[in-house]
Amino acid sequence: MKGRFSLIAISLVVILVFIFSSSLWAASKIVIGHPACLSGKYAKAGEQALGGVKACVDWINNVYGGVKIGGKKYLIKYKYYDCESKKESVTSLIGRLITVDKVNVVFAPYSSGLTLRGAPVAESHRMLYMDHGGANNKIFRQGFRYIVQTIGPASRYHEGTLDMIHKIDPAAKRVALAYEDSEFAKMVMEGAEAHAKKLGFNIVFKRTYPKGVTDLTPLLSAFKGAKPDFILGGGHFEDGQLFNRQMADLDINVKALSLIAAATLPAFYKALTSMAEGVMGPSHWEYGVKYSESRAKKAGLPWIGPTQDGFVALFKKAIGKNIIPDYHAAEAGAQVLAYVLAAKKANSLNSDKIRAALGDLKFMSFYGGWDIDDTGLQIGHSMVDVQWQMGKRVIVWPPEGQTGKLVYPMPTFAEKAKGKLAVPR
Amino acid sequence: MLLEHLAGNLIQGLVLGAIYGMATMGLSLIFGVLKVVNVGHGAFIMVGAFITLWIFNALGLNPIFSIPIAFAVGLGLGLIFYSLAIRKLLKAPELSTLLATFAIGILLEELVKLIFGSEFRGYNWVVGKINLGVTVLPVAKLYACIGSIIIALLLYLWFNRTRAGSAVRSVVEDDEGARVCGVNVGGVYALSFAIGIGLTVASGVLVTMFIPVGINPYMGGGYTLKAFVIAVLGGLSSPYGAFFGGLIFGIVENGSYTLFALIPGVEPFALTRFLSFVMLLVILLIRPTGILKAK
Repeated sequence: MKGRFSLIAISLVVILVFIFSSSLWAASKIVIGHPACLSGKYAKAGEQALGGVKACVDWINNVYGGVKIGGKKYLIKYKYYDCESKKESVTSLIGRLITVDKVNVVFAPYSSGLTLRGAPVAESHRMLYMDHGGANNKIFRQGFRYIVQTIGPASRYHEGTLDMIHKIDPAAKRVALAYEDSEFAKMVMEGAEAHAKKLGFNIVFKRTYPKGVTDLTPLLSAFKGAKPDFILGGGHFEDGQLFNRQMADLDINVKALSLIAAATLPAFYKALTSMAEGVMGPSHWEYGVKYSESRAKKAGLPWIGPTQDGFVALFKKAIGKNIIPDYHAAEAGAQVLAYVLAAKKANSLNSDKIRAALGDLKFMSFYGGWDIDDTGLQIGHSMVDVQWQMGKRVIVWPPEGQTGKLVYPMPTFAEKAKGKLAVPR
Repeated sequence: MLLEHLAGNLIQGLVLGAIYGMATMGLSLIFGVLKVVNVGHGAFIMVGAFITLWIFNALGLNPIFSIPIAFAVGLGLGLIFYSLAIRKLLKAPELSTLLATFAIGILLEELVKLIFGSEFRGYNWVVGKINLGVTVLPVAKLYACIGSIIIALLLYLWFNRTRAGSAVRSVVEDDEGARVCGVNVGGVYALSFAIGIGLTVASGVLVTMFIPVGINPYMGGGYTLKAFVIAVLGGLSSPYGAFFGGLIFGIVENGSYTLFALIPGVEPFALTRFLSFVMLLVILLIRPTGILKAK
């Protein structure tokens, strides 16, 4: 009888310990929710973002030792669904992540349009909403209180390119602007126009083209007549490829061509091969940037996260492919680090408190600097300009971050058709 | 300078229009014979684009060789989808075939994504350019244009000079009457659907010869939309009407850009699209059978 009683007691204790420990286990997770773009038109950027988040979650959980809040250690769990790059899916998935999955923070999907679509839903739930892929400044002019940006604002995308050409070729004054008719690209154009005027450039052509365009010939033919020294333009990946290809078809030669979003991706060169030689693009991050713990110390900023190579290794492990991550991955990963630092600083998981802590946060990681203004707009991160040289992306601006010299002017399309590559002198 | 731009854009528009026309003929043929609206039309164009890409990259073959291969693959796909889905839905409400073709389109997109991934791809076939003075025309585009015209002519000849073509025309006119006269209407349906899909997949090759970049599983959407406008323009059930509709669409789309650019403060590209859809509405209102078909 006594033995039987002991057995029941032990069983009860085991059950209680199991229930108690599992409830403890459940409470020791911070859940990041993400309507990720894993299919549809932003699938490429979405896959990169997913890999970036997973890489940094891995680093926080296994290298950093989790997040200590109120003396308790939390591990990060990443909960994501495929939003199919569709606005209607974004809103419903954010609702689901907040109400059903009870996430602690929502990471916005890729692109300005989708980010903006999800913001009111997060806002209505007073949920922190972190933006790694929506660069449009207008998102931050809507009065949202819970949105915070990691990607740099669109208005600054082409500032570096203009600074670079202004410095290396003061005689090049004629600039053509041709961007996609999207909120994001128009904001880039607005910023480029203002900066170009400030530097004394003449805008000799300024036009937009519609989303999903399949032929840019009329627009490109029109700006051929404007005889620009260089062209700034683009919107998203598909039109960037088309832009470059049809410039080659029409034999439009300029000293420099910089395309947003498209030109920095490996698939751009893979599709265009030699036609992409010498073409540039602004990037939020590029493998080869020189951000390190010692540089953070020099800048007086705290450092967090893996080294650049550490991030690359974690990214490869996360997506199971041997590819170097691009800026979509880096900015999404850096967002995890920003959240962790802010949660620690706030010593809470409350969205209001973490949002306040993010407002005061300044740090450096493999991605570079991080700082936001009162509206949540990213102001601490600097972009780099990359150029395709001999089939490789080379950082050509800013001078302190260069991994190679700019090839200027770029080879003509006729030269490229004969196999000439952009080789620095 | 203005006339030079206009002439250049009209030439480019004519070449593009020939490809648009070719890309619409399959849609019109299927609607004309089976009264099925193929909402998944663009996905078949995408399949053709991927066939070209694969043949060019893996086998190093000239994209022109991809045209018969793509047509054959399209015929096969057409027969499979006809037997599995369309045949059973022909008597069902129109919405059923609409949904079925929509589902087929999504199925193809996701299947191609599974095999090739979602990356935007392209190939670089350099065969020279012709400088026409007012514009530069890559030879690849010229080949695509000539290819479209030849295929349209072949379809015309098949329709008008063969027994099978006559059978198809009789079904278009009156399927019950054709049945009474001994025409195998079921066979005509299968053949027309297969040829329609074959033409559409082959047009994917020509699309990439015009624009050899941006090849991805979801590239078909834009072409579906344009194909519907062109099909209405040329007469929904007339494949060669659709070809001429494509020519008109290409010329209007490109040519109007130069004229709209003269209006200060407007974005010409936005207005060219606006004009295309105004054209669609006007045709539907005053000549719903299309501009090339008698009332």
